[in-house]
Amino acid sequence: MAANIFEKIITNINKNKLKYIFLLIIVLLILPFVVENQYVLHIAVLTLMYVLLSSSLNVIVGYTGQYNIGHVAFYAIGAYTAAIISTRFNLNFIIVILISGFVASLFSLMLGIPTLRLRGIFFAFTTLGFAEITRLTILNWRSLTRGPFGIPGVPIPQIFGMRLSTNTHFYFMIFILLFLMLLMTYRIINSRVGRAWISIREDEQASASMGVDTFKYKIMNLMYGTFWAGVGGAFFAYFAGYVSADSFILDESFRFFAMVLVGGTGTLAGPILGGAVLTILPQVFRSFARYQMIIYGVAILLIIHYKPEGLLGGRTFKRDLSESEDN
Amino acid sequence: MRKSYLLSLLVLTVIFTFVLSAGAAEDTVKIGLSAPITGNYAEFGENFQYSVEIAADRINANGGIRGREVEIIVRNSEGKPNVAASIAQEFVQNKEIVAEIGDFTSTSCLAAAPIYERNQMVQLSPTSSHPDFARSGEFMFGIVGTQAAEGPFNAEYIAKEYLGIDSVAVIYINNDWGVSTMENFVAAAEKVGLEVTGTEAFFGGETDFSAILTNVKQNNPEGVYIAAMYNEASQVVNQIDRMEWDVAKLAPSSVFSEQFLKLSGESGEGLVTNTFFALEDPKEKVQSFIAEFRERADRNPNLHAAVAYDSMMLLADAIERAGFDRVAIRDALAETENFEGVTGTIEFTDVGDVVRSYMIMEVKDGDWVVQEDYR
Amino acid sequence: MFGFYLSQLFNGITQGSIYALMAIGYSLIFGTLGLVTFAYGDIVIFGVFVGYYFYAVLGLNLILAMLLALPITFLFGVLVEKICYEKFRKEARMLMLITTVGFGIFLRSASQIIFGTGNKSIPTLIEGKIEIGNLNILYIQLGIIIFTLIFIYALRYFLNNTRTGIGIRALSMDQDAAKLVGVNVDKSIKFGHSLGVVLGVFGGIMLGSFYNAISPMMGPNLGLKAFTAVVLGGITSIPGAVIGGYILGIMENLAVAVFSSGYRDVVAFIILIIVLVVKPSGLFGKEVKF
Repeated sequence: MAANIFEKIITNINKNKLKYIFLLIIVLLILPFVVENQYVLHIAVLTLMYVLLSSSLNVIVGYTGQYNIGHVAFYAIGAYTAAIISTRFNLNFIIVILISGFVASLFSLMLGIPTLRLRGIFFAFTTLGFAEITRLTILNWRSLTRGPFGIPGVPIPQIFGMRLSTNTHFYFMIFILLFLMLLMTYRIINSRVGRAWISIREDEQASASMGVDTFKYKIMNLMYGTFWAGVGGAFFAYFAGYVSADSFILDESFRFFAMVLVGGTGTLAGPILGGAVLTILPQVFRSFARYQMIIYGVAILLIIHYKPEGLLGGRTFKRDLSESEDN
Repeated sequence: MRKSYLLSLLVLTVIFTFVLSAGAAEDTVKIGLSAPITGNYAEFGENFQYSVEIAADRINANGGIRGREVEIIVRNSEGKPNVAASIAQEFVQNKEIVAEIGDFTSTSCLAAAPIYERNQMVQLSPTSSHPDFARSGEFMFGIVGTQAAEGPFNAEYIAKEYLGIDSVAVIYINNDWGVSTMENFVAAAEKVGLEVTGTEAFFGGETDFSAILTNVKQNNPEGVYIAAMYNEASQVVNQIDRMEWDVAKLAPSSVFSEQFLKLSGESGEGLVTNTFFALEDPKEKVQSFIAEFRERADRNPNLHAAVAYDSMMLLADAIERAGFDRVAIRDALAETENFEGVTGTIEFTDVGDVVRSYMIMEVKDGDWVVQEDYR
Repeated sequence: MFGFYLSQLFNGITQGSIYALMAIGYSLIFGTLGLVTFAYGDIVIFGVFVGYYFYAVLGLNLILAMLLALPITFLFGVLVEKICYEKFRKEARMLMLITTVGFGIFLRSASQIIFGTGNKSIPTLIEGKIEIGNLNILYIQLGIIIFTLIFIYALRYFLNNTRTGIGIRALSMDQDAAKLVGVNVDKSIKFGHSLGVVLGVFGGIMLGSFYNAISPMMGPNLGLKAFTAVVLGGITSIPGAVIGGYILGIMENLAVAVFSSGYRDVVAFIILIIVLVVKPSGLFGKEVKF
C-alpha cells in the first residue's frame, strides 16, 4: 500500500519534472533562513556535499557505465590539494577549489590511460587499488601531508572582504557548486558528448564500430566526474577546516557507490535522493550509538532488495549473458 | 502485499525515531559524550561509556549536581574526525548540554575543537595526549598527560635507569598518537644518551610483525620500545617470543591493561611500562570504582577507563562550583585545585593539560607489579 | 645479510600460506561462481568467532569447538547467499558489491555486540617446532601449508569428479545452458558459496590460532588480501589463487625488508594494479568475460 503511494509519487515527479525542480530549489534556498538549529544546518551542508560527490560518481557509473569504486581517492586528492595550497599560499578560495578539481582530474587521467581499456569489474579493481594507494601515500608522505596528523588550520574563505565562516555561508557555497555542477552536467548529457557516453554504456562494441572514439570519451567522462569529486573535496577541506586520512577510507567509496545505486543510476535526480537518504539516515539513528551501524547496513540491504534499480528508478545494468566463454 | 507492509513499517520507524530523538526536556543537567562506540576503537569507546555512566550514577545517587540529575547523551564518533565534528555541532546546538567529554583519538578531538571553541563549550578529553590539543583552545582540556612528559619518562627512567639499556629500537603505530609518541621518545632518548637503532611503523590492525621484527633485530638493540595499543603490543611480544629473541621490552602507558596480560600470555613477561593508575591502589575510591566497573563490564578497568571516570567527576566538581553556564564551567574547570581522582591528583596547566608523574610497572608472573613510584 | 633476507623470505612464505588458504575459498565464490563479495573476510571472522564461542563460553575442547563451527558456518553461508545474492543473479554484479558491503557493515557491528569489542585470545592448536639451521619452523606453519595443498586437491577432485561440483563448473560457464542440462542452479550456487565460506573459516581458524588473536575488525583487511591473491593468481584458477597468495606474502615481506614498513600494504595494491593492467586474467587465469 505504501509502496504504491511511493510509486505514484515517483511517476508524478517524473511527469512534472520542471515543476518539482523549481519547488526543490525554492525550498533549498529558503531553508537556512527558516531553520535556526545549527546542527540541522550542518547536516544540510553535509548532505548537499554528499549529493555533489555522489552525482560526480554517477556521471561516471551511470553514463558511461564505468564501475568506479575508488572515487574516494579523488575526493581525498581534492581535499588535500586544497588544504596544502591554502595553508601555504594566500590564494582566493575559488581559485583553490578550481585548482583542486583540476589536480584530481589530472590524477584520473594518469589512472585512466592504462586502465580504461579494462572491462567492467577489472577496471573497478584498479580504482579500488588506486584509492588505497592514495590513502597510504597520504599517510606515509609526511613532509607533504603531515602523515597521520592531518592538516589543520585550513583558512576561512573570504570574498569581497567578507569572511565565510558560518554554516549558512557554507550552505550557499555548496548549493552554488551543486547547482553549477548539475546544470553543466545536464547540458553535457544532452550534447553530442553525452550521447556518446550513453552509447558507450549501452553497447561499447557497437558504439566503437560506428566510429565513436570510445577511449577518448571514456577519459573525458572520467576526468569530468573526478573534477567535481576534487571540487567536493576542496569544499570539505574548507568546511571542516581540517583534513585527515581517516576521512578517506575505502568505506567512503562504498558509501558514494551505495548512494548512486540507492538513488538510481543514470539519472540526475537519483544521487540527489540517494545522497540525501544515506547522509540523513545515520543521523536519524544517532541516539542508538551501538546499533547505528547495524541499522545502516540493514537499511542499505532493504532498499537494494526492494528496489534494485534505485529509489528513483534509474536503469540497472543487466548482466551481459549473451556472451559465451571461449575455452 | 508483504513488501509494502515492510516498507511502510520501515518508513514509520524512521519517522518515529526522528520524533523520539528530538527528546523531551527534564530538569536534568546534560553532559555530552563523544566516543568511538563502533569501529576499530570500539573497545576503547565502550570503556568510556561504562566509566562515565558509572560516575553519573554515583553522582545521582548522592543527590546529583546542585540538586539536578546528571544525564549523559552518548554519540558514536566511529573513530572518525568528521563525525566527531558533526557530533560537536549537535552538542553545542543543544542548550541543555553544558559540557562534553571525549573523544578518544586526538585527531577526532582536534577536528571537533573549533566547533566547541567557537560555541564556548568545554571539550574534556580523557585520552587525547597530543601536545597540540589542549593548547588549541581555551575550552580544550586533556587529563591523561601528553607524550611530551611520557616520552622522556620512558627514555630516562624506564630504559636507561630501570632497565639499564643503552640502545633501543622503536616499533610504532602509524597514526597521530603513535607518531607523536615515537617522536617524543626519540627526542628524549637523544638527550639522555640512549641510542635509537631504528624506527619501524605499522598500521593499526596489523597482526604480523615478523618482517618488522626481523628488520629491527638486524641492528641488535638491547631493547624494543613498542608504541602501540595493547592489541598490537601483545602481538609484537608474542612474535618476539616466537623468534626466541631475548630483548628488553618497554612500552608507553597505552599497554597497561588486563587485556594485554590475557592476550600476550607468557610472552609479555618482563615488559615494563608506566602508569598512574594501578589495580592494587588501596585507596577506597579506587577500589570501589574498580569493583563497580568489573560488575558492569565484566572486566577490570584499564587506564583509559580510569581517566574517563575522572573526567566525569572533574566536570561534576566544576559544575558544582560554577553552576550551569558553559563559560563559567570552563573557568571553574581550569581553576580546579586539589582534585583527587582515581588516577591521582589532577590540576590543569595554563593550557589545559595535566602534567602526570608515573609509576613503573612490570609484568611479573603474569601480573602487573609496581616496581618504582615517582609520583 | 643472506640470513636476513632468508628470514624475511620465510616470513613471507608463512604469511603467504595464510593468504593462500583464504584465497581458495574466495576463488571458489568469486572466481568460479562469479559472486562479487566484500564481506568475505567479515563472514570468515564471524565463523571463527562462533568456534571461539563454543570454546570459551561453552567450554568445549578447542578442536571440537572449531569443528562444530564449520557446519554452522555452512548454514550461515546459505543465509548470506539468500540475502546478498539470490535476488540479483541476473542483475549487474555491482549490485552484489553494495549488498555485501551493507551486509559486512551489519555483520561487523553485530559481531562486536554479540562477542564483545575486544580482541579474543585463541591458543595455538598445534604446539611445537622443528629447527633447520637458524630457522624455526613451527608445526602450525607446516600444518597450514599441508592443509592448503589438501584443499586444492580436494576441491579440484570435487569440481571435476562429483555431480555437484561439475554442476557448479557448468554454472560458471553458462547459467542458462547449465539449467537446460538439469543443473539445479539455486542449490548449486548455495552449495558452492557455503563451501567457499567454510574453506575460508578453516583458514580463519588457522590464522587465529597462528596469531593467537581474533577481532571483529579483522575482516575487511583479510578480504582484501584474499581478493588481491585471487586476482593476482587468476580469477578462474584455484591453484592460481594459492600461488597468488604466496607471491603476495613474499612480496609484502620483502618490501618491508628493502623499503620501509609503512609501505607494506601499498605493495599489495601496486601489484594488483600492475597485474590488472598487464594481464587482467591474472598469472594463471584464462580470458573471461566478466
